[in-house]
Amino acid sequence: MTNKIRLLLATAVTSLILISPALADNMLRISYPEDPKTADGQMTSDSYTLPLNVFDRLIESETTSPGQSALVSGLAEKWDVSGDGKTYTFHLRQGVKFHDGAELTADDVVYTFDRMLNPKTKALGTDILTFIEGAQERLDGKAESVSGLKAVDKYTVEIKLGQPYAAFLALLASPQASIYNRAFTEKAGDQFGLTPETTNGTGPFILREYTLNESQMLEANENYFRGRPKLDRLQVRVVADSETLRLLFETDEIDVFDLDYAPTQTPYFYGNDKWKDLVRSGPRVGVYYYNINQAKKPFDDVRVRKAFQMAIDRQTILDKNFYGKGKLEDGVLPRGVACYAPAAPIAYDPAKAKALLAEAGYPDGVDINLQQVSSWSAKWSDMNQIIQAQVAAAGFKANIVTTDEAAFLAARKVGETDAYTQVWSADFNDPDNFFYTFFSESGSKVRAYNNNDPEVFSGVEKARSLTNPEERCKLYQELAARIVDKDAAWVPLFSLDHSYVVQPRVKNFVVPWNGWSDMSYYKVEVE
Amino acid sequence: MLMFAIRRIVISIPVLIGITAILFVMLNVVPGDPIALLMKEHASPEVIERVRAQMHLDDPLITRYFRFLWDAVQGDLGISIKLNRSVTSLIMNAFPNTMMLAASAACVSWIIGIPAGILSAVRRDSFLDHFFMGFSLLGVSMPIFWSALLFQYVFAMQLRWLPVSGFYGWQYLILPALVLGWSSAGVIARLTRSSLLEVMRHDYIRTARAKGLREVGVISRHALKNALIPVVTIMAIQVATLLSGAVITEAIFGIPGVGRISVSAIQSRDMPLLQGSVLFATALVILGNLIADMLYSVLDPRIRSQMTKAAP
Amino acid sequence: MSLTSEMTALAPDVIEETSFLRDALRAFRKNRMAMVGLFFVVTLILAAVFAPWISPHDPYRVALDEQLLPASSTYWLGTDNFGRDILTRILYGARVSLVVGTVPSLIALMIGTVMGILSGYLGGRTDFVVMRLADMMISFPSLLLAMVVMYTLGANLLNIFIALALVGWASVARVVRSQTLALKGKEFIEAARANGASRATIMFRHIFPNVVPTLIVLFSLSIPDAIMWESSLSFLGVGVQPPGSSWGLLVAKGKEYLFQAPLVAIAPGVAILLTVLAFNFIGDGLRDALDPSMKD
Repeated sequence: MTNKIRLLLATAVTSLILISPALADNMLRISYPEDPKTADGQMTSDSYTLPLNVFDRLIESETTSPGQSALVSGLAEKWDVSGDGKTYTFHLRQGVKFHDGAELTADDVVYTFDRMLNPKTKALGTDILTFIEGAQERLDGKAESVSGLKAVDKYTVEIKLGQPYAAFLALLASPQASIYNRAFTEKAGDQFGLTPETTNGTGPFILREYTLNESQMLEANENYFRGRPKLDRLQVRVVADSETLRLLFETDEIDVFDLDYAPTQTPYFYGNDKWKDLVRSGPRVGVYYYNINQAKKPFDDVRVRKAFQMAIDRQTILDKNFYGKGKLEDGVLPRGVACYAPAAPIAYDPAKAKALLAEAGYPDGVDINLQQVSSWSAKWSDMNQIIQAQVAAAGFKANIVTTDEAAFLAARKVGETDAYTQVWSADFNDPDNFFYTFFSESGSKVRAYNNNDPEVFSGVEKARSLTNPEERCKLYQELAARIVDKDAAWVPLFSLDHSYVVQPRVKNFVVPWNGWSDMSYYKVEVE
Repeated sequence: MLMFAIRRIVISIPVLIGITAILFVMLNVVPGDPIALLMKEHASPEVIERVRAQMHLDDPLITRYFRFLWDAVQGDLGISIKLNRSVTSLIMNAFPNTMMLAASAACVSWIIGIPAGILSAVRRDSFLDHFFMGFSLLGVSMPIFWSALLFQYVFAMQLRWLPVSGFYGWQYLILPALVLGWSSAGVIARLTRSSLLEVMRHDYIRTARAKGLREVGVISRHALKNALIPVVTIMAIQVATLLSGAVITEAIFGIPGVGRISVSAIQSRDMPLLQGSVLFATALVILGNLIADMLYSVLDPRIRSQMTKAAP
Repeated sequence: MSLTSEMTALAPDVIEETSFLRDALRAFRKNRMAMVGLFFVVTLILAAVFAPWISPHDPYRVALDEQLLPASSTYWLGTDNFGRDILTRILYGARVSLVVGTVPSLIALMIGTVMGILSGYLGGRTDFVVMRLADMMISFPSLLLAMVVMYTLGANLLNIFIALALVGWASVARVVRSQTLALKGKEFIEAARANGASRATIMFRHIFPNVVPTLIVLFSLSIPDAIMWESSLSFLGVGVQPPGSSWGLLVAKGKEYLFQAPLVAIAPGVAILLTVLAFNFIGDGLRDALDPSMKD
């Protein structure tokens, strides 16, 4: 190498050090692989970091210990629920200010929810509000307002439900239910949440800079009603590439390394002397499962389904493919969801599975299809390939059938897909989010289970309106036993841990209860 | 010349319109529902139906095409489904980054390609000739996604001299420009070489030599001037190709340019964004060809008259 | 910018085919790089065809306790994240690359030849329409066009054929057209016309054989392009799908393990590089041999 080149490279390296973002005293630097696209929680279905940090909800879901959460008061100081479980009255905190200085009033809350249900908004998160009386009429454009939403006075909001729904409070704690300011948001129109100038919340941080596909800069809200956050600034960078992310982290340009975005680095960080004590880990409230469609042979036979449950060596997948960071799940709910209780373990037993197949009339094994979707991440094709190899021992000759996502979704909508594997993470902390999605009469079909067990259907419906928590949990446990053990309609695999590695200067970093990558950074500190 | 230019531009218009039609049909006959695809696991069927109707996705194809064309003429390429922003502004924001990458890559390719081509031509069949031609052929033969990875591994991960990816300053451009530039240096080198060899056979070069000019003088003063005409013309096409062809480089190095927009639009199945970015890249190529033709006719008077005739 | 854009009309003037071909063959044989390339490609083809007999390993088996092993006497290039032998995966990937290199190129060549001859010989409106269509296809950046096709049709091998054929035919058509134009005025064509030969006869009996040498060169030069495009598509996840084996896919998967086991990503890339290089050598050799004017 000539001296000139060496000089050139030296200059490059020096300027690299000089140009890299200066460490502000109290700035936390985090990264996501994708741009969040908007700070408006009503308009996104996957990026909640901005909504969680720039806005507040009436109620917040607070992490009490890893994997555990409690609903605590947010913008609503307290609330009452009527005896019939249909009317919720929220008493707002007084004197809460939006970032632009306007005071939060009951009208803002009514406006926010009405905006979500207004068909002109084209909101994606409407699901959480459809239980409100008159919501459907508003969504269908048949009403100019939502009959169940009312500002009683300046600080009191009354919400009427069409029928009692036990999980409603949990829903209001989800990021989609962030509260907006009427005057500001109306003025911002469809630009709301897209730029710092058109974003205004009550939350602990203020969105200051937003460069699409590059970074966002958030600044502490000095007037935050719970008290100013410990951080001065929060820098969010978009880093798509996992190798880059690791290098940025190791060169101290990023404070939090989310192993979700670089799972193959797990052994390195867990085994490295410098980093292993800086790993922060917590359970993720999401269950990996294998779907089986009872409308497709041979899965119409419960013995075949049982055999399939037993033919998958879940522990090996968890250990080898996910580095052992997780826990086997045997019920419908993963750990961390309300009403979770350990269920009877599903044993890995290829011999017994083979016998069951023979009993079902397939002594020489049986062909099955495993569905793979071409645009899904490599994780899923990896799982399919492993499971294909594993179930072979029990006599399942599995073909991996690859289709594109459009075809997959179209087929699933009418209940016709082949067996596929996926994960379901809790949107809000309530069993209904799992049971209703998969085993209600509509869910069982559109998710391609076709588990047409009328007792399960009625049980899932009934559980929605039960207000007594113990009674409700008991019902869910009975349902789970029926679904997993008796009907063998559900093949639960495992839930994973969510691990992060943080720089030594990061304090008070707690993995959020649901194990999401999106979280509130209000309580995090840096030294 | 003016007539030629006008003719050339007029001919490009139906091509461009044809391209919008091909593109629109290809992207709009996709089975399935772009909205459903966007919302993934957690969207309920009712929400999908409603958003779909609101976005006019149920109108007939031809209506939608003319609406698209009319808007496109006015510079409006629609709204990105996923990013919820105007496609035109997304592309315009990303374009300067792509332009910087393409320009620096083009410089790299000229710095490698032209001297390599000259040396190879002058020292034909020597070791240098084989070395330079081999080097530029190597660049052409390496898949960009792999050479990019290799460069990242060596210069960023092992030696830690340069950043792996991202775009926060000029040093972030070095690796991508090297990778992309090397990949197109081969074409420049070969063209320079063959064109120089061609020119050197001509009489006036022999005359110059006969007059006792030194070889260096012959080449630099007489041969090169003419030999570079085809090289210069190809440059216009090259830059356009680099602008549109930086797709993989941008994706791997995390440069927020037009190419990365296309890739992420494919991955998130954001149809309007994909449509807009591909259309934009294609328009660039057409423009590049147009400029190349003009340059050629300006630089080489012999061609001018021919071209006016030959264009079918 | 593909190498084919450098192609000029290189039809051998007339007819003494046998001696022309003999000369060409001799010239090709004398080209050392081309022979090296040919040797490599033949070896690769044999290795790909006989992969199951050459390699003791199953390319699809899953052995999670042999993940990411380093190179050893059992696994010459180590193993991937499923414990599969990387060399075996590369050999099976060669099947995809070779097929994808040739089949779509052939399709593109056929379409391009027919279009080019029709356009050049018939002229007029046919010419205008075909050439404008070719202009459009050429104006699309190749990789983007291929990506759009894959987006529309879905990611699988057959659609890669379609995508690459769509990308490739137009440049073939342009070259063939210009050659046809050059041949059209030649005496032997005039003679054939005077003898009452039909247009179809002239086009495919008289013009076509004279285009063949060009087609051979175009074909050999389009193979490496097609291999590159396929691997790029597969790398981006819109090409061959797992558990299938394609070099681009292997690199993409190996990228995740670049820190622990760089060989997983680097080895298949070397395979692409060598193969493309070999085909380029062959193509250059063929061009030089079939068109002496290019060899200054």
